[in-house]
Amino acid sequence: MITLRGLTKHYGRKRVVDELTFDVAPGRVTGFLGPNGAGKSTTMRMVLGLDRPTSGEALVDGRRYAELRHPLREVGAVLDARSVHPGRDARRHLLAMARSNGIPDARVDEVLGTVGLADVAGKRAGAFSLGMGQRLGIAGALLGDPGTLLFDEPVNGLDPDGVRWIRQLMRSLATEGRTVLVSSHLMSEMQLTADQLVVIGRGRLLADAPVTEFVADDRAVHVRLPDPGERQTLAHHLTGEGLAVEERGGGELVVTGGTVEGVGDLAHALGLRLHGLTADAVSLEQAYLRLTANEVEYAAPAAGRRAGR
Amino acid sequence: MTATIGPPRGGGLPGAVHSEWTKLWSVRSSWWTVLAAAVLMLGYTALAATAVPVMAEHGDPEAATVSAPGLAVNAVFFLAQFPVLALATLFIAGEYGTGAIRSTLQWVPVRGRVLTAKCAALLPALCGLGVVLTGAALALAVPLMGGAGVPLTAGEAVRTALAIGGYFVLLGAFALGVGTALRSVAGALTVSFVALLALPMLCSALGLTAVLDYLPGVAGVNLMLGEGTLNDLTGQPVPYARWVAALVLGCWSAAALGAGAAVLRSRDAG
Repeated sequence: MITLRGLTKHYGRKRVVDELTFDVAPGRVTGFLGPNGAGKSTTMRMVLGLDRPTSGEALVDGRRYAELRHPLREVGAVLDARSVHPGRDARRHLLAMARSNGIPDARVDEVLGTVGLADVAGKRAGAFSLGMGQRLGIAGALLGDPGTLLFDEPVNGLDPDGVRWIRQLMRSLATEGRTVLVSSHLMSEMQLTADQLVVIGRGRLLADAPVTEFVADDRAVHVRLPDPGERQTLAHHLTGEGLAVEERGGGELVVTGGTVEGVGDLAHALGLRLHGLTADAVSLEQAYLRLTANEVEYAAPAAGRRAGR
Repeated sequence: MTATIGPPRGGGLPGAVHSEWTKLWSVRSSWWTVLAAAVLMLGYTALAATAVPVMAEHGDPEAATVSAPGLAVNAVFFLAQFPVLALATLFIAGEYGTGAIRSTLQWVPVRGRVLTAKCAALLPALCGLGVVLTGAALALAVPLMGGAGVPLTAGEAVRTALAIGGYFVLLGAFALGVGTALRSVAGALTVSFVALLALPMLCSALGLTAVLDYLPGVAGVNLMLGEGTLNDLTGQPVPYARWVAALVLGCWSAAALGAGAAVLRSRDAG
């Protein structure tokens, strides 16, 4: 469980993180989204005690990170791959890490096997590819078998197999009841892994909601009817229910504010012939872009207006 | 995930020291600096010792004043201390260059403990290095001097070895402090060079001879030479006992460590 309360960070006069308050609950994957520079990494660094908050606090299981007696046994984190000395080999990097927190040396080979680096354990970290560096970071995060895990842009530099592997890893970690916070600037990535989404822009909280709710809110339904008359009938009834309907070429209606199920049931009740009925697959991405675009467009946006919905 | 990590054993300060010890010897630069210190120390002492019988043959009166400990101290101050300085500086300031400091502080989030652990891992090793290198240098110098120069007693050999070991400890502590405060290898090395070498020259040039013996570099040489021995840096005999010299240099090291600890506590990880 990660708890942020009014977490704020200024660098000089620039507010990088601005009054962030939200919880990251155990047992699910929480996606931490925002454009580059939104403050995701800084927030994670404050959770790990690397950066000191200007005000507010970041707690892990109710305690500040620095108060944890064996922090690596409670919090695992993958920040950037450049936090490893390039001249040290992978095994001894992890050995030094394990010894700092009273973790047995044998655990090192175990996690090296888990992430698939056993064969290159004696190789200097500086000679690793970006993907191998990410795997080394993940090995470190898993080392202490922690209940809370933070991943900062973990799929960067991974090949498609690696991406699939890390998605499964995050899902299984959450299923085991751990708290998993994953940052990304790609909504499409989060759509596949996250249960809960926290979106920030310019350091402010824009949204904190389950993925399903995100989708339901803005999902457009595309329905295709070959008969123009029947199209008019359906459009009329949908508008009557308060939904926005837009007619497109190819006999397609785009319905926003409704669900696939609702539109389908209505067409069935009216006895209309359909040639297609789909929900907009990328609407989550669009919802996210709309959310963050607002942050960029207006100098003084109503922060928190969408928060906590 | 199979988790065979067992209950916590260790961690805390002992864990942090063990971790730093592992880090120290798992990068090549540490081994290179130790090798460089050994080569410079033994190479200089051997060359200088070889010259002593030649000087004596040519009737040079200075030959009679040369002692094996004196040669070893010169080897340390003018050559061998610099790899030691580099080792200590890289040990902390190097982490800021590579970004490894973020890992270090994530593993050991209590800031003061990181610096304590680095001292506890590095300084005993430096002490051992100083003692061993001095022993080897003296063992090399005495036969090469072939009876010329000041005869070496066993007591003087032991005192010199311990004093050089002590100098390496205080020098390492000073460099760790400066490196933590400045967070840059280049910056820290520059400051250390100035403090050890340039400051005595500057003070001499300005006629501030009274402060010379209280500068870190001069106090270090005084520590290694012992009371009453002629110090080439000041041109004067060492005015105080070895423990006073250790105290003077120790104050410099403590000040540097204090500055480093203050910076480490107050600033973000970097």
